[in-house]
Amino acid sequence: MSLIEVNNISKSYRINKRPKGIPGMLANLFVPKYEMRQAVKEVSFQIEKGDMVGFIGPNGAGKSTTIKMLSGILYPDKGEIKVNGYVPYKQRKEYVGSIGVVFGQKSQLQWDLPVIDSFELLKAIYRIPEEKYRKNLDRFVQMLDMGNFLQQPVRQLSLGQRMRADIVAALLHSPEIVFFDEPTIGVDVVGKETIRNFIKELNAEDEVTMLFTTHDMQDIEKVCEKLIVIDKGEKIYDGSLLGIREKYGTTRQLDVEFAGIEHIAPIANVEMVELDELDGRKKRFVFENKQVQINDLMNFLLQNYRVRDISISEPEIEGIIRKIYNGEVITT
Amino acid sequence: MRNDTLNVIGVYTKTIMKAWFQYKVDAVLRSLAVFLREATGIIVIYFTLLKFDSLNGWNMYEMFFLFSLLFLTYGIMILFFTGLRDFGRTVRDGSFDRFILRPRGLLFQIIFVNADWFAAIGHGGLGLVLFLISAGKVGVSWNLGLALYYIVTILGGVLIQGAIFLFLATLNIYLMETNSLKELFYWNMRKFAGYPISVFHKSVQALLIYVVPFAFVNYFPCQFLLRKEDMGQYPEIFMYMTPFIGVGMFAVAYLFWKYSIRFYKSSGN
Repeated sequence: MSLIEVNNISKSYRINKRPKGIPGMLANLFVPKYEMRQAVKEVSFQIEKGDMVGFIGPNGAGKSTTIKMLSGILYPDKGEIKVNGYVPYKQRKEYVGSIGVVFGQKSQLQWDLPVIDSFELLKAIYRIPEEKYRKNLDRFVQMLDMGNFLQQPVRQLSLGQRMRADIVAALLHSPEIVFFDEPTIGVDVVGKETIRNFIKELNAEDEVTMLFTTHDMQDIEKVCEKLIVIDKGEKIYDGSLLGIREKYGTTRQLDVEFAGIEHIAPIANVEMVELDELDGRKKRFVFENKQVQINDLMNFLLQNYRVRDISISEPEIEGIIRKIYNGEVITT
Repeated sequence: MRNDTLNVIGVYTKTIMKAWFQYKVDAVLRSLAVFLREATGIIVIYFTLLKFDSLNGWNMYEMFFLFSLLFLTYGIMILFFTGLRDFGRTVRDGSFDRFILRPRGLLFQIIFVNADWFAAIGHGGLGLVLFLISAGKVGVSWNLGLALYYIVTILGGVLIQGAIFLFLATLNIYLMETNSLKELFYWNMRKFAGYPISVFHKSVQALLIYVVPFAFVNYFPCQFLLRKEDMGQYPEIFMYMTPFIGVGMFAVAYLFWKYSIRFYKSSGN
């Protein structure tokens, strides 16, 4: 049995549909019209202990709803969830002690007080023994380089500092499972890197199971081994990061630097992009794997033009994901 | 286990106090502002009674005595139930989700995570001042029994108002916003309760006795101590019912809360 078992869960919201204009507003006041919107449709998946899973999808795909059901905030309408032997929404108090949740958009720290005060409060709430608290705090503070702002009020922190403090806040009680909902949102490049390294280290050393949502594909590429993609409430991919490349990464690209300014005639099935607007020496050729043989294209270019440099690049996960979101790739 | 609960309440309270004292001057001024705002209502009554001597047989000190219970109970009540007063905001901004994620009772967290000391000091302070002014001049010969009655009455009054707050907070789960209901059923009713209810039309009296029972917070307990003539039109037993109504109402409100919480919908991101 897996650590996290999700079986056919569905969740709908009732949305008040307001007709336009003042008559509509009045009508709505007396006879409100509701419409059900299905946020999650029969989603199932399993996550094993120690897994690091990226959970992605466009805005409104149902990610947050799923995370909220997994963490016990929402009841699913249909289906079952079992995490670590608990049913989250039924055994709340017993369950939540074993999980940590980071909402990147919503801090759980005391706004007016120094960071350390929020940690002390959590120590009492989660009944963390003194020794364990010290050990965790010292370790995390060192790993995330937080020593210099621990005594500062949260309101004075930068977004990156606040996010690091929020991550520590969710981990002080040594949860076995951590849900991250956009843990790098709004954080600068260096800050993101710090957070990613921290998450990776924690996963490797403590075998903490992690599920995290993000819109930053770099997060996924650098941190996750497994990927679950949902769109319009339905799961459309569940597997390894490598797998998604093999399955959907059907385009390749060839970056070519020409020796001189070349005018290149259109090539069938190949899209050409100017990389260097100024003199037109660098061009990118994008094509479908199935339609064009890479050897043929290279030979054609080398024979007909003077080429200085040539490089093949793998499709970026980001590009693949974008295509999936846009419906350009049919998923099954 | 009990120790642990007290410990976490202690840490919550320490955190609240620390946050308040981040802004010391503001803390003092805000308490004063609440005090003065509420005191203006009393001053109006003071000048009215200078002219009319009494209201339905109640003189100025008796009126102050009546008022003092209203303020004292509110001052104590708000220390415990600030979280219920602000519950609508807690739900809307998603903070309630965080409560769900912590291994403590939900109502426990709502009650102990916040306490509006400004309101408590402002209202409670005014109540205390009014009590000290009037207690010696309303013809009550205080003894241990009466003091006990008074304390139990305050606790009952706290529970009655706490139950109203809990009930209105629970409605947030269904309605998202209940401030106007609170304005209508709590604050407006409370304005009536500043006067002996016998001066009002029967329908208003019925409201204050049976619907939003403010009459049991101050009017009937005062009648037990003062025995004014207008008590004749009400059953004697009303003077002894405050603690029972408090406990009963709170129990019902608590069951309503327990039943409703499963319908909670997170506010979304």
